[in-house]
Amino acid sequence: MRALRTAASGMAAQQLNVEVISNNIANMNTVGFKRQRAEFQDLLYQNVERMGAQSSSQGTVVPTGIQIGAGVKAGSVYRITEQGSPNETGGRYDVAIDGRGYFQILLPSGETAFTRAGNFALNGEGQLVTDDGYAVQPNISIPQDAVDVTISKSGQVQVITAGTTEPSIVGQLELASFFNEAGLEAIGDNLLMETAASGAANVGTPGDVGFGQLRHHYTEASNVDAVAEISALIIAQRAYEMNSKVITTADQMLSVSAQVKS
Amino acid sequence: MENAAYVGLSRQMTLRRELDIVANNIANADTTGFKVEQLLLGEEIGERARNAFIRPGVSFVLDNGIGRDYGQGGLEQTGRNLDFAIEGEGAFFKLNDGAGEAYTRDGAFTLDPEGRLTTGGGAAVQGDGGEIILDRSLGEPAVAPDGTISQSGNPVGRISIVRFDALAALEKGGDGLYRNASNASAIEATDARVRQGMLEGSNVNPILEITNLIEIQRAYESVTRMIEGTNDLSRRAVERLGRA
Repeated sequence: MRALRTAASGMAAQQLNVEVISNNIANMNTVGFKRQRAEFQDLLYQNVERMGAQSSSQGTVVPTGIQIGAGVKAGSVYRITEQGSPNETGGRYDVAIDGRGYFQILLPSGETAFTRAGNFALNGEGQLVTDDGYAVQPNISIPQDAVDVTISKSGQVQVITAGTTEPSIVGQLELASFFNEAGLEAIGDNLLMETAASGAANVGTPGDVGFGQLRHHYTEASNVDAVAEISALIIAQRAYEMNSKVITTADQMLSVSAQVKS
Repeated sequence: MENAAYVGLSRQMTLRRELDIVANNIANADTTGFKVEQLLLGEEIGERARNAFIRPGVSFVLDNGIGRDYGQGGLEQTGRNLDFAIEGEGAFFKLNDGAGEAYTRDGAFTLDPEGRLTTGGGAAVQGDGGEIILDRSLGEPAVAPDGTISQSGNPVGRISIVRFDALAALEKGGDGLYRNASNASAIEATDARVRQGMLEGSNVNPILEITNLIEIQRAYESVTRMIEGTNDLSRRAVERLGRA
């Protein structure tokens, strides 16, 4: 009976759905996290009777045919890159992106990763780094005698050093954008990697056309909507239960058939 | 003699097929743009297995088609600006997936590395002048209800929305795609509206499907009991005749 396998595919799909939802809920308070959504598609169809086939020698044709579907599969799990709300932290090196773009981060392997999480800090050499100590690209070094640091909307990093009143520019933050942001590969630690699907990074200055602006002393909250996730969880659970009901029914029908005496 | 068993068998076969279809509907209760299906049954007048002199003959059950309900599914807000839903029954996005034209109600699109608007499976979305190519550096795409895409206020293309005079011409191809299985050609759907940032849910009604499931199971049990009864009858007949 095909119904058993069809319902099993439905249960597997809902299980994946719950996994995606639980990851969203777990990352509700992750800086710069973008929620994901599982999207489903119907599986292949078997043509039991093909539409348009001749149904008699008089030339009548089957108008609709019979197609029986074989269940469901996950089409894609994609990231929704909607803006998260800015969260005022007052952190000295916290920067949120308001609009499109990613910060570029140099990994220890020499590759460049991308992130929306702008909760930066300084390392021992005064370099601007992420939580994990990976340097923000292009390199920005803050002098040791800096009294105050200001990051402008367009990414200019200015410092006021002890004994001076005029700010001096020590660096410029840049943003990278992609054709297909959904094609970026998440590698954990809030980092994303460029892939063939995302296209090459297009680097530019914050505030230019196609790039967002920076907000100093803010971080970007995750864009997970708790209420929407919980209701999605309820829907997934009920759908799972209904599929299991189909399995029970198919099983009982089979057992009825098996009990026919010969 | 065996007519009753054969009639019962024809019903059992169609019930199993109905169960397969209900199982597919339930499995796709959460599939974007899915359209619910139902088996259409008909009466098939058959000849009696024996004794052709007594009329009328017996009727078997035969499944002679699938009815697909193209009714609107609920719209779900996703907040992603490349998600589109069609408001309007029987209208589709037009695609080209290399194997020819395809149609879909699943508007979860993305951009490929060249900026081409495609489905999740990579089929190119067709606009008025062929493929739609967006340059993200011109700003976020905004889509009007008639399908016109604009970036920073300048129109850059239009998503085609089409429909068929006879929806029975369409065949499901899996992956949320429909293919044209007839000679009919698609026409512009002028009354359909495109909604950006939304996806169309499946139009499966779970309560109805669960009810169908129960009905199918009970009908199957009663037909099976009837076959058992016929079986008993012929066994007893053979026993009694053997004694005489």
